[in-house]
Amino acid sequence: MNPIISFLKYSHKEEDMLTEPIKTVRHFLIALAVMLIVGLPSTLLAQEAQLPDQIQKDKLELGKRIYFKRCVWCHGVEGGGDGPSADRLFTRPRNFIQGTFKIRTTDSGELPLDQNLIDTVTNGLPGSAMPAWGSGVMGGRVLSEDEILAVVQFVKSLVQDRDFADEDEEVYVQEFGSNPWGTSAPYHLGVPQEDIDAGKEVFLKNKCFECHGGEGRGDGNPTMKDDWGFPIFAADWQQCWNFRGSRRNPYDPFSIVRTVSTGLNGTPMPNFKDKITVEDRWKLAAFVNSLCPRKKIDKNANKPINDFLVKSKFTKGPVSTDFNDPMWQAPDDDMKIKPRPDGYTGKKNQRWHYIALAGQITRGQRNFKPKVDNLWVMSNWSEEEQAVYYLVEYHNRFLSVDPAYPDAVAIQWPGQLEELFGAEKPYFIYGDSKKPVDIWKANFMVKDYKDTAAPNPNGYDIDVSVKELVGHGFDAVSEKETPGGVTVVNSKYHQGRVKIMFKRSLTTENPDKTDVQIPVESFIPISFMQWTGWDKEHDELMAISTWCYTILEPDNPASMLYMPPILGVAFFGFQMWLVWMTKRTRKMAAEGKVK
Amino acid sequence: MNKVVTGLILYLVGFAVFHFGLFEQVILKMEEPGVLLNRYSYFLLFVAYCIGFNIILKLKPPIALNGLIVWLLGAYFYKVVLFPPIPWTLLITYMMLWTIGTFLYISQDPVTFAEFRKPIVKTVVGEYKVAQYVVFIALPLLVGFATYKSLEPSFAEPVELRTVHPAPPATTKVHGKSYTLEGLQNPFRIDEQDNYVDGGPGGNALPVEGKFPFLDADKVEYMKSVTEGGTIFFENCHYCHGDQLNGLGMFSHVFNPTPANFIDPGTIAMLRESFLFWRVAKGGPGLPNESTPWSSAMPPWEEHLKVEEIWKVILFEYWYTGWHPRTFDEESASGGEE
Repeated sequence: MNPIISFLKYSHKEEDMLTEPIKTVRHFLIALAVMLIVGLPSTLLAQEAQLPDQIQKDKLELGKRIYFKRCVWCHGVEGGGDGPSADRLFTRPRNFIQGTFKIRTTDSGELPLDQNLIDTVTNGLPGSAMPAWGSGVMGGRVLSEDEILAVVQFVKSLVQDRDFADEDEEVYVQEFGSNPWGTSAPYHLGVPQEDIDAGKEVFLKNKCFECHGGEGRGDGNPTMKDDWGFPIFAADWQQCWNFRGSRRNPYDPFSIVRTVSTGLNGTPMPNFKDKITVEDRWKLAAFVNSLCPRKKIDKNANKPINDFLVKSKFTKGPVSTDFNDPMWQAPDDDMKIKPRPDGYTGKKNQRWHYIALAGQITRGQRNFKPKVDNLWVMSNWSEEEQAVYYLVEYHNRFLSVDPAYPDAVAIQWPGQLEELFGAEKPYFIYGDSKKPVDIWKANFMVKDYKDTAAPNPNGYDIDVSVKELVGHGFDAVSEKETPGGVTVVNSKYHQGRVKIMFKRSLTTENPDKTDVQIPVESFIPISFMQWTGWDKEHDELMAISTWCYTILEPDNPASMLYMPPILGVAFFGFQMWLVWMTKRTRKMAAEGKVK
Repeated sequence: MNKVVTGLILYLVGFAVFHFGLFEQVILKMEEPGVLLNRYSYFLLFVAYCIGFNIILKLKPPIALNGLIVWLLGAYFYKVVLFPPIPWTLLITYMMLWTIGTFLYISQDPVTFAEFRKPIVKTVVGEYKVAQYVVFIALPLLVGFATYKSLEPSFAEPVELRTVHPAPPATTKVHGKSYTLEGLQNPFRIDEQDNYVDGGPGGNALPVEGKFPFLDADKVEYMKSVTEGGTIFFENCHYCHGDQLNGLGMFSHVFNPTPANFIDPGTIAMLRESFLFWRVAKGGPGLPNESTPWSSAMPPWEEHLKVEEIWKVILFEYWYTGWHPRTFDEESASGGEE
């Protein structure tokens, strides 16, 4: 149907609805409101049922105007969650018609309060395409409080299958207690370890791992569907910035308590109101929360701030290929936010680099629904071996079981680094005709793995085959005739996390000029690509990062050992000279030689 | 000596009240600062307080303390009070001037200068024993530490400069047809001046505010194009440019350069529609080298969209943000001669 005609049709229907005054209902509502206000304290304490907030009809005209400018594009003309963007989004926009709202403070299955919807519109739903409409981030606050209230009223009027005025729609507003540890935003650190451990017991007892996975990466169950039959995944607790109900406050345990208490309507997430006491829900929240790495969050994007420079640490001797070796140890947390634990044995300043990924939506076959949105990269290089190692880790809930579509991850380099001038680089998607790229791609299938079976707690070994590609454009990618000797020296898939360790010598024979020659102490462009075999991603249908840099850091210079004491002593001598001079001048002044 | 302690306490208490109470709680949260009641007048009040209590209590502080307070007030002003915040290079320049000014104040006559020197000389020659030990041990350690830090290799991501709006070519070829950008118009912009709404007098910056556009029967033709443009935008563009067209789409944080913010007055508001047509059609790979074509994630949309679809998306972007494309009237096109 022509969208204009449907807009017009819809608005006529809307007007009919508006010109239908039901006076008795209104009187009843006023009486009810008075009763509610009078009986408010007891209502709160005893969790009495109450009618949900009624639609404020005087706000509908304004709400409609806003809806048809701002919301219709995703949520659709009738609120069916079927706007133009819907088919290319994962998760799809909310369908309002059934009155199913995920993030509420009311009991499972019930309608939301106005305040719940206002909070959602104001803060948006992190990890989805729903932006924050009232948060005042870059670009300013888009909608005022009045406008948000109005659009919420209009959204409520789009609910067809339920009636906010129906007596059967009474809601119970839940009590969540308050944060027992008094931790504060933004990072909510300082919860005692015994409460986190107690929370883990709650997690095990209630079998949360069946959907959320043993370490909370959401890798439990690939077959889940929402109420409308669309596929849905359990949340990845180690990426709390994507929690839809986090209200732009990703580390706040409250949002976890609320979700556990009320469930998420329309999804397989049940409520645990009667199964877990409020105290235990807070402990469970503390456990879930403790899994999420503390990173500085970009307020605009609601994601950790990207690391655009991957630092490769100097090692004199050989680099270990053991994931558990101290040289590959670094906490996930930003060390400025959460100090390293006592007894930390890893390298000084070794760290994970956070590389954000997006779907490749630029050229050829575009990937609108990538399943992986970040990689964690760590690197060491060895002077003795003259080789560089990159360990790439990422979360992926389910891996491929179809050998035609293996999972894959790749590192992309400029193929002819020495030919580049200044900031010049090859095109970030497989290079271009003049400037080729060198791609180290690890295709892999997991051994003895079945996505629908319970995950093996010991993890899985991986069958990796390395392909070295040379790219002259997204449609001109070929395998090298003379590979440069890239190997994957270790790999593992464990609890929803892939680990792949690449190795290559710094220089190669390079007869065809297709291998990057890696200099020390120089900024080299690097980027990453990732393919989810489970989603049949292949070729340019992938997730991709932008160009970052990597640098092979040199050893600390020996002058660091002797220069500081020398300069310190020299300065001390200067001070002594100053004392001597001052005293001499004073003496001369006293003797009258100078004035 | 007691007077110096009293003075220091009054300075500290006054500063704490001003900074943590007044400045952070009141002044920073002011929505619209007035002509009289703004951050600068509050700061002047604080300066008046500093001068006032010294006069009223007859503290007669030593010149060294006065110099220190004057210097600190300047540093506080440039670092915290002055708005918008200045870059640190400028801050250093200002503070150097301020330091010279403070020194001039101290050395205004030989008496004050001698008085200023007195505590320093006493520390150096050892009349203030404790101060001498602390300073003479701490400073060499500091020098050693600074040397260590400066020798330790540290690497920061290189800064790359980039031309955001490069000069467009004279002509561009899209879908086999050549377009001259000079004078190229959006075929779907029916009214050149956006008079689609009988709003207030003098035209309306936001043509759709105040009137529900989709009910405006007269403008059906225009709104049809806008709606189709919006449909294309929300199928293709919002991932980067955002549902609010503010460049904060769900993939925007991944890319460097970051996607354009159309709400910002420095993007589509100051560009001509023909420029947008070229940028949309040719995307990142169509940019000249000074605009880093290798890392722009903007697709050459001619690979995915028809020419009229590109024009409709552009129409939609102006409609949604309320901007009007930059135009040149006859006079300025002919050199501004009347």
